[in-house]
Amino acid sequence: MQIDALTLSALYIASFVLLLIGYLTVISSKDLIRVLISLELMFGGVFLSLIPLFTSLPNPAFGIALISIFTSSSELLVLIAAIIIFDRKNKSLSTGLVRVGGERT
Amino acid sequence: MAAISEEMVLLLALIALTILLSMGVLLTRDNFFSAMYMSATLIMVASIYAFFGIQPLFILIIFIFVGVTGIVTVALAATFRSEPEKASPGFWGPLALTTALIVAISLSTSLRHHPESGMGAIQFELGGFLGNPGYILLIISLTSLGILLMLSVLKMIGGVNECR
Repeated sequence: MQIDALTLSALYIASFVLLLIGYLTVISSKDLIRVLISLELMFGGVFLSLIPLFTSLPNPAFGIALISIFTSSSELLVLIAAIIIFDRKNKSLSTGLVRVGGERT
Repeated sequence: MAAISEEMVLLLALIALTILLSMGVLLTRDNFFSAMYMSATLIMVASIYAFFGIQPLFILIIFIFVGVTGIVTVALAATFRSEPEKASPGFWGPLALTTALIVAISLSTSLRHHPESGMGAIQFELGGFLGNPGYILLIISLTSLGILLMLSVLKMIGGVNECR
């Protein structure tokens, strides 16, 4: 399919709306699993914004998409492991229990 | 005004479905259903790639993002199932306004100054991509990164025996 101005606008708007919904989900979340879900949603928005790049630079665009998919999925899997460890330690997944790195009680 | 083609209607329908499913993530109160809606949204994103004829990325997104992280997230949400909470996204007004402004400014600037950039037909071939040794090195490096990270995660959790 030919990408024209209308298609380009539709793709970018959809990408921004997905990012916005991801941000809103993070703001409204009270537990870590919801934060994880919203992060995955935001990555979906990022993937959508890559499509127009395939028109001018198809191979580098595919390389960038590969890097994005591998790094984001690795990051999410590490986050999943961190959530499991957090639950073992605190017996809860509430965001209220998360402290800043060096903070001590 | 030029008539909208059938392809454009199909693309707009796919995008509308994607946004509706992502709204489900925001509005549902149960994490399990939220994770299910998120997986469905990512399937729709992959379908948009398939619509443009980029099937390798469709397969990668479905296998890695929906098949691995998505399913693990759904399983996590089902295992640590808590009492559904009321979703009350605050500050949605300023955020939506900022997003609309960014979209409007970036699109108008892009179309005014670079009217031909990002436009044209997508002609991607996996054979052309894999023919470049640099990209093969990239794939090997990313696979190694994935394996190393998984080993680190296993060590963080406490080994294979701990996972049983």
